[in-house]
Amino acid sequence: MKILFLFILIFHISHVNADEIYNLIKIPNLEIYKLKNDNNIRYLSAKGNFKIGVNNNISCDKVNINNLNSKFPLIEKNLNRYNSNFLNKIKLKYIVFCENLFISEINTGGIPDNKNRTLILDINFNKKYFERMIHHEIFHMMQNTHIEFFDEDKFSSFNLTSFNYAECSTCSDRLNLDLYEKTDGFLTEYSKSIPSEDMAEIFSFLMTDKETIEDKINSDKILNNKVNFIKLNLAKIDKNIL
Amino acid sequence: MIKTIKASKSEKILFIFLICLSIFAFTSFFLLKNKCLFVEKNNLSKLKFNYPDNIAVMNVECGNVIIELYPDISPKAVERFKILIEQKMYDGSAFYKVSENTFVQAGDIEYGNINNLDYSKIGSGKSGLGLLKSELSNDFKFTKGSVGFARATEFDTEDSEFFITLKEIPIYQGEYTPIGKVVYGLDILTKIKTGNKAIYVLRPDYIKTFRMFNSN
Repeated sequence: MKILFLFILIFHISHVNADEIYNLIKIPNLEIYKLKNDNNIRYLSAKGNFKIGVNNNISCDKVNINNLNSKFPLIEKNLNRYNSNFLNKIKLKYIVFCENLFISEINTGGIPDNKNRTLILDINFNKKYFERMIHHEIFHMMQNTHIEFFDEDKFSSFNLTSFNYAECSTCSDRLNLDLYEKTDGFLTEYSKSIPSEDMAEIFSFLMTDKETIEDKINSDKILNNKVNFIKLNLAKIDKNIL
Repeated sequence: MIKTIKASKSEKILFIFLICLSIFAFTSFFLLKNKCLFVEKNNLSKLKFNYPDNIAVMNVECGNVIIELYPDISPKAVERFKILIEQKMYDGSAFYKVSENTFVQAGDIEYGNINNLDYSKIGSGKSGLGLLKSELSNDFKFTKGSVGFARATEFDTEDSEFFITLKEIPIYQGEYTPIGKVVYGLDILTKIKTGNKAIYVLRPDYIKTFRMFNSN
């Protein structure tokens, strides 16, 4: 038993990169991309592939620096819409750039980690939805830190009683991110997966295409209630975000 | 009749070369083993300080590391650090987390003492004095030789563990409570055993004694 313990210990000790950034946010193979920003957010990039999480279920590849340089202005423009006070409240300080981000073998655009104040972003995520994805993930960080404002039961009650969300976001085949022509209470197919994704979709559209959403809610009472719910509770955290 | 055979010139050169090689190998073996050989020692009796009450002396295998504490920046953290030093709680504390040329970390009183190392719990030990609130400074730069209080992932979890930076680490600015800076003996810290790329060091180096300068 002791030998087994020693073996596990040595295996554990010899497979983690212990540099200064790992020490801070528990992700290996990172380097500083841009440190000084008006809203105090710090940008890091993957200089090597990494695997983290339970059973290393999160994996991502190192960034091609030219690829990142070309996409960074767009990312920065979107993140600059959040002030440092708001970012503090939602516990977001570090943005980690990498390519081909997977969680449990499912490709994803971003993974929020409030505990380490970090949002991992896949810079290769579909260009069409990229900006929206950033705000979508930020909503998840906001919900995680202010669960009392974004009660899922209360939000779900706006739907028709005949509607049911899926058990989880990844166990549903409702994954399309295109905006519905006829909304019927939901902006996208992905909105129908689970309540938190529904809320995140509304927030992301409010941040990127507010006029279209304002137009849609005029003829969709359910969506109107949902949008007002998000706006009202967002204002409790910061009145100036939208 | 025995005929004397004289060594040729090239044989003599080869013989001298082999002797030199063996002397070199022999001395190198003993010199290289002594990692402290070329480290400058700091003689405490010859050092003068403006604020001796805020000077701490950490004695490790290769000599004395002299740290100036900054109570003006982090009063509570420095007060705690002094208490731990005065109660000799850092004596025997292992440098269990060391990243080569980056930082060294020690100070787990409960599970990180060299006489009682517990690798399954190291880094989570308590001093018994309670947790401190983080005293962050957006102006303090973690340049080479900066001393900071380590913490868990969350803020306000500082207790007794501390780290010393061996290079400038700008990302630590505003993230960790500063305690002070190394004024002498930074090269001594570069000799501390590293874990290469591993998170923990097996059979680590440790603090022999840690005292306030005035008590020496």
